[in-house]
Amino acid sequence: MIFKVFKNQELARLHELLAVNIVVGPVAKGNDRNGKPLYDFDVVYDFNELALDYTQTVHSPKRFVLPYQETLSTFAVNRKDWEKHVDFNVYRPLVFFGMHACDINALNKLDLVLAQSTYPNPYYMGKRKNLFIIGIDCKPEPQCFCRSMGTDSAIHGFDVFLTDLGGKYFAEILSATAFDLLGQISCQDPSAKDLALYKQATNGKNKHYTAQVETSDLTKILDLEFESPAWDYWGEKCLSCGTCANVCPTCYCYGVEEHVDLDLQHASKTKSLHSCNLIDFAKVAGGHNFRPTSASRLKYRYYHKHRGFVEAFEESLCVGCGRCGTACLADITPPEVIASVRGKE
Amino acid sequence: MSEQLSYLGVPLARPKVGFFELSSCEGCQLQLLNNEATLLDFLNLVEIVNFREGMSERADTYDIAFVEGSVTRKDEITRLTEIRRNAKILVALGSCACFGGVNQLKNRFRDLEWVKKEVYGDFPIETMEVHPLADFVQVDLSIFGCPIKKEEVERIVTDLVVGKTVRHPEYPVCMECKANENICLFELGEPCLGPVTRAGCDAWCPSNRRGCWGCRGPAETANLTELEKIMHTYGFDSETILDRLECFGGFASFADTLRPKNIAELSSLPAQTKLIPSGCKKVPARRKKP
Amino acid sequence: MHNKLHFIDVLGRTTGAHRKQDPDSFEYTLPAEITSIYPLTASEKLYQIQIIDPELRNRFSFKPGQFVMLELPGIGEAPFSISSSPVRRGDLELCIRAVGNFTNFLAKMERGAKVGITGPFGTHFPLEKMQGNDILLIGGGLGIVPLRSPLLAVLENRSRYGRVDIMYGAKSPMELLFTYQYEEWRRFDITLGITVDKADKGWKGRTGLITELLQERIKQTTSLRENTYAIVCGPPVMFHFVCKMLTEAGLPMQKMFVSLERRMHCGRGKCCRCNIGSTYTCLDGPVFDYWSVMNLKEAI
Repeated sequence: MIFKVFKNQELARLHELLAVNIVVGPVAKGNDRNGKPLYDFDVVYDFNELALDYTQTVHSPKRFVLPYQETLSTFAVNRKDWEKHVDFNVYRPLVFFGMHACDINALNKLDLVLAQSTYPNPYYMGKRKNLFIIGIDCKPEPQCFCRSMGTDSAIHGFDVFLTDLGGKYFAEILSATAFDLLGQISCQDPSAKDLALYKQATNGKNKHYTAQVETSDLTKILDLEFESPAWDYWGEKCLSCGTCANVCPTCYCYGVEEHVDLDLQHASKTKSLHSCNLIDFAKVAGGHNFRPTSASRLKYRYYHKHRGFVEAFEESLCVGCGRCGTACLADITPPEVIASVRGKE
Repeated sequence: MSEQLSYLGVPLARPKVGFFELSSCEGCQLQLLNNEATLLDFLNLVEIVNFREGMSERADTYDIAFVEGSVTRKDEITRLTEIRRNAKILVALGSCACFGGVNQLKNRFRDLEWVKKEVYGDFPIETMEVHPLADFVQVDLSIFGCPIKKEEVERIVTDLVVGKTVRHPEYPVCMECKANENICLFELGEPCLGPVTRAGCDAWCPSNRRGCWGCRGPAETANLTELEKIMHTYGFDSETILDRLECFGGFASFADTLRPKNIAELSSLPAQTKLIPSGCKKVPARRKKP
Repeated sequence: MHNKLHFIDVLGRTTGAHRKQDPDSFEYTLPAEITSIYPLTASEKLYQIQIIDPELRNRFSFKPGQFVMLELPGIGEAPFSISSSPVRRGDLELCIRAVGNFTNFLAKMERGAKVGITGPFGTHFPLEKMQGNDILLIGGGLGIVPLRSPLLAVLENRSRYGRVDIMYGAKSPMELLFTYQYEEWRRFDITLGITVDKADKGWKGRTGLITELLQERIKQTTSLRENTYAIVCGPPVMFHFVCKMLTEAGLPMQKMFVSLERRMHCGRGKCCRCNIGSTYTCLDGPVFDYWSVMNLKEAI
């Protein structure tokens, strides 16, 4: 890996260089009822709109690679005959300016199932390959348990990752495009002092984690605790509203619906992100529901994240960003759920 | 118009359709006329035989009857029964027809005579308690919303013509609200029934920073007990919850269980802060099938 | 302007790529035609569906137990197990019960209608392994549908297999599927046992549970351990009891195969709708050996 340092004010220049493309980044979205600032990802036209010291965005960057709704194909119907038109909805590259490590890792996890397994999904792949990602370091928030999930630092899946050394950015460069770009701003090789500052920043960050999830033997414990009353406790609270899945950076489940147009000459096939917590998730034609209770659906969500995905890909599908717990009105958070299932509440 | 409709080689019948209104604002029917871009395609798909708001001709046989509004007068029962008799499929159009809608708010008052006097003064009209259509006739299909969404009606009509079973989203509004990337209104200090209300509106109100009032009634899983806790956690009292739950009538049975708690809460307040005049005290719902 | 990022076209490189690895074929549907429709019962019909392009039809190959996704524009897409013999390739037979939106519309379609096919998807019954062994094919209700493909494949190579038993149970004689083929199957030296839950007036066959049929078969041999394979398809309750009985009779779990049914929206291991526990029915199934099923939470 190649490392560089540059002065903070050079970042505006970097943005300027990239502004010929569509740039997306964290922006301030007002305050919540307690006066806490809110952030979300949005298209950015001016460098000053970027809130690079953001805590955590309400929604994950997922929608830029997995839109909540997407037309998979359209049909032209002419009496008995019909033709299918497929459009992967990938049009142009996108610059992501300021993504935290958890979200970069989330994309890496999505890659495993959507791009690197059998039947790679072109709708996702096309968008993912056309992301230019500038990662940025963060300070752990109370809900963050990324360190438990091993996703507190990003090793790959970005173009350049920046760490603020106070006045200077420390840049890890992973792609030729990023190297070329940094060549156009004023950059230096890191000095011994920069390196010391970088290590200091990393160590400082690690001290700030408060939330954690015990993952040792979790796959086995989940299996053993399939009938645990803890699931019923959380199931009773669960609103079955799908909010956790929608704010999650790695939830990718979906449903497909087809519709005939009013003119009976066109039809479309639409994909919408779904959530395994929704009542109809496992309902089959004829009405049988394989998971009729909130508890069984909530349990399934944890099984998929912390057991099934591990079996398939040797790592959990959860990045520990804590968004689901923050967004859940019923206050269902992974650290608490897992702790209760492990029996040490 | 006379050409046989078909889809993928399967011949389809062009249904005769009638639109009717009972006690309502007729806003739902207006929604249908509200989109010139698709109106012609819509008219090609069905044969409208009765639509007071859109045409003057009328006939009395139809395959699908869309009935807007709730039942508030005796003569409306007769009319509704007759529509039912003439129709193969009776569709309750909008919240009033499905749950009583805003009209049913008056059922909250013990003394209907007092209500009548407040509203009509010295020109009384013969009215009764408000009822949804299903209290009198069999309803085959409900189209929720106040008002209904035109796109949804068009989809439903297309589905009916093609022969697909009409299915509503079973999940709550939250799902669509998040897909619109809204920040949760609870976080912004506003109450919202999104977590328990049936989706399908594309989170119309929350996307415009208005909390949901539950016009589509409960979702297939509506965890109202938890919602009540959440409302209290976020600082809203039972009165606020009840106001929302009672607004369109979809949550009537849960509101009934909540109301006594609210009365208890209110009676513990000092007398001068009581919000409700003594003559129209809220009482547990008395809506009964006639 | 040279900082304008280069657009990466990850698609459009179809040539030679395997269907399972080729992103371009993800949403590709093979145009097919309904060439004939046989009503089997009041609600089930056997559809012959042929991939229109002769070259694609011949290139289409599947193994018994696999399924295809059938698509009707605007109506939907749904998974169906293939009921025909693999030698017929892209000239498929699908037995479909009219039960939902999709199947009800399909029931109204006529010969010559155009439909879309994608697949084949999923795992299959390992017939190669079963060669030289006795085979028990046990089906309940619609479970005969995924059984018919391995059955036909066995009949085509009858001499390669030992004793072949079919045990088939339905609710009533009116619901029995493929009745016109029973005599033909028997001609291949096959023991065909049929039972119904409830007889009607004309029914001369046996009445009772499929497990009774199986019990009789088990009594005829001392142990099933050595040289027997079983394929069990039907409602979860049925294969739960059947597999238990087979286990008690000494049949190892990895020699019993079941085909599971779940809701599917993609067939390609992406939508998660068919997950059991966290196993994809579409990729890791629909055919599982009984050991795997035992290890799946909420499978039965």
